[in-house]
Amino acid sequence: MKTLKLFGLVFAALVLSFALCLPAGAAAPIKIGVLGPMSFTQGEGHWNGASMAADEINKAGGIKVGKEMRPIELVKVDTNEFLSIPDATNAAELAVRRHKVDFLVGGFRTEAVLVMQDIAMDAKKVFIGCGAAHPALCTKVTKDYDRYKYWFRLTPINSKFLGKVDFILLGTVAHIMKKTLGIKKIKVAVVAEKAAWADPIVNISKKLLPAKMGMEVVGVWRPSPVAKDCTAELSAIQRAGAHIVFTTFSSSVGLTFAKQMGELKVPAAAVGINVESQKSGFWGATGGKGEYAETINTYARVEITPKTIPFYDKYVKLYKQAPNYTAGTYDALYILKEAVERVGTVDSDKVVSALEKTDYIDTAGRVVFDKSHDVTWGPNYVTSIGTQWQDGEMKCVWPYHWQKVFYKGTVPYKLAPWIIDYWKNKK
Amino acid sequence: MGLVSAYFRRGWTILRSEVLVLPSRLAVLLFIIALMAVPLFTQDYYILRILILTCIFAIFAASWDLLSGFTGQMNFGHALFFGVAAYVTALLNLDLGFPPYLSIPLGAVGGVLAGLVVGIPCLRLRGSYLALTTLAFPIILTGLVFAMPDITGGELGLSGLSRLTGSRVMDYYLCSSLVVILGFAMWKITDSKTGIILHAIREDEVAVRSSGINTIRYKLLAFCMSGFFAGIAGGLYAHFMRLAGPSTLEVSLSFQVIIWSVFGGMVSIYGPIAGVFILNPLMEVLRVALGNFPSLPEIRMFIFAGLVLVTLLFMPEGLIPWVRDKLENECPRCKLRNVFIRQRCRVCDTSLS
Repeated sequence: MKTLKLFGLVFAALVLSFALCLPAGAAAPIKIGVLGPMSFTQGEGHWNGASMAADEINKAGGIKVGKEMRPIELVKVDTNEFLSIPDATNAAELAVRRHKVDFLVGGFRTEAVLVMQDIAMDAKKVFIGCGAAHPALCTKVTKDYDRYKYWFRLTPINSKFLGKVDFILLGTVAHIMKKTLGIKKIKVAVVAEKAAWADPIVNISKKLLPAKMGMEVVGVWRPSPVAKDCTAELSAIQRAGAHIVFTTFSSSVGLTFAKQMGELKVPAAAVGINVESQKSGFWGATGGKGEYAETINTYARVEITPKTIPFYDKYVKLYKQAPNYTAGTYDALYILKEAVERVGTVDSDKVVSALEKTDYIDTAGRVVFDKSHDVTWGPNYVTSIGTQWQDGEMKCVWPYHWQKVFYKGTVPYKLAPWIIDYWKNKK
Repeated sequence: MGLVSAYFRRGWTILRSEVLVLPSRLAVLLFIIALMAVPLFTQDYYILRILILTCIFAIFAASWDLLSGFTGQMNFGHALFFGVAAYVTALLNLDLGFPPYLSIPLGAVGGVLAGLVVGIPCLRLRGSYLALTTLAFPIILTGLVFAMPDITGGELGLSGLSRLTGSRVMDYYLCSSLVVILGFAMWKITDSKTGIILHAIREDEVAVRSSGINTIRYKLLAFCMSGFFAGIAGGLYAHFMRLAGPSTLEVSLSFQVIIWSVFGGMVSIYGPIAGVFILNPLMEVLRVALGNFPSLPEIRMFIFAGLVLVTLLFMPEGLIPWVRDKLENECPRCKLRNVFIRQRCRVCDTSLS
């Protein structure tokens, strides 16, 4: 009898402990795969942006799917896409088939994203691209809607519009130089790293600048993407009498070029694309000599929307660096949340129809997807910005009342004092 | 019925006297059976993707062994054949609408032509000079790919190729069958009279030439055959990935194929195949095992490099020849191989001890 009582006690204790340990009907998480080359800054941006958004959403209770609140579970998918395309596709397939993610965000190298896009489409998973700019990714949606409708691109704006902004920035600086220094015809030195992606910009510059923008191209220079010395190019540019250096850099040469340009006090304004100058470490790496370099950018501490500055500050506080455009995964998660909550399900087809109706103010502007599921560019939508290093800070200088667009915190573009002195004395 | 029975009896005799008597052959048989049986146990897309890519790279690695292992024409730019075939296959499929069963063999013909283009200027070169010259070709072609984006798709490559077959399982069976068939074909070539001449060219080209053999013709033949098999792999890759891009010409791919082959064991055909079947899935196993380990690609590469180094330190001829030599002994008289437990040769009865 005593043994029976003891057995009953142990049994009751076991039942009670099971009851206490089991979560009371915890909702299954919504799994989101974050694709990116995680050992590189681009992948870091993907992961940091997504982590920040997931934390915020989960702290607020999760995503409301029908009547239940479901938390977000992020799946880190290191695609290693810079080094191996098969690696990237294996990682994407692992996320889709094994981890059974509900949605995918991220991707960077277009060649890899094209294949990962197919993997996502095969599995009918919504994939929000946050990294690859090539228009071909979205063209597929219009060509074969039923298959590719699950693809959306949030960031960056597609390369066609990036090119447009590039030339707008150039035109704006040319206008300022004409007005400030009284120069009649602006002379431009086109400097692009020796890489395939830069070729179209060089070719268009040679045609467009003289024909449509009334400028003279004094020469084209193509330094190596990893050049450690650009003094020969800079001396030649100075001798050619260029007023503006139209830069196209994505690699470390951008750092060398900007630093040496400042050291030599070349009397020309650098404007265009310089990915190195988008990074917060640029000022320190150039020892302050990169001041006045202007580049296209996605984020700066400026009020593009009411969400931009809080996002920017929190990102800098958490990760000790400014966000780059791949951190747009932050907005991707919020856009997904909004779409899922509107349709009350994670069913891909229904989420696609909700995403198509997206009209959402995110940290980079107002997001509306066009027919090809690409983010709409233009005034009152996402414009991207132009940033310039001024007194050790990355300042937003464009849009500055462009098409009535002005973001609070934007400052006027500054010409380097040695440029002003040189061209005023020259007259 | 009698005929079927006769064939069955003959097959069984060959199996019993030629295959089951040697552990290496038995291992190959078991490997083929296991390879064909995989879809019966799992049709997981992820596993099948890894195995399909492994089969494709195995054909590619064996084709390198045919040229560089057997003929001694050290090719450091083998990705050229792979890439050319991938692009030719993609262009035929996308522009002319050729289905995979036509575009892949024609892509392989592209690989053959690439073999000729590389082979002819390299005929007078040997050793490191040959290796460095061959390394230049895929780099030159990458430049051309970027220079002609209207044809090649430039940085983006050519995408949207039709699928290899209708399903992942069928893709798997096609690729696994091809690795067996083409691997066997390459092995038979190396075992033939032509193979012996190729082998002799590697050992002493002057001696071969002095025997009245046109070594130029055989060396070009080796380049073309290697280009053909690498081309089949390139075409399969393009259709499976639905993309032919500049990554198919990357220097890293050329070096990868050398690592696989040297690890598995050069001058054997099955060595490089085994090398790919060990190392390629291993990288995925490490991905799953290490999960969200920071710097995952670097850690995987570190383990990969460490494994290859250790293997080569203790097994300079590669893993598979080392294992084979442990399990089998060569008869000093008739040169046939015997299982290590035998005291006397299974054919000539010579003592093996």
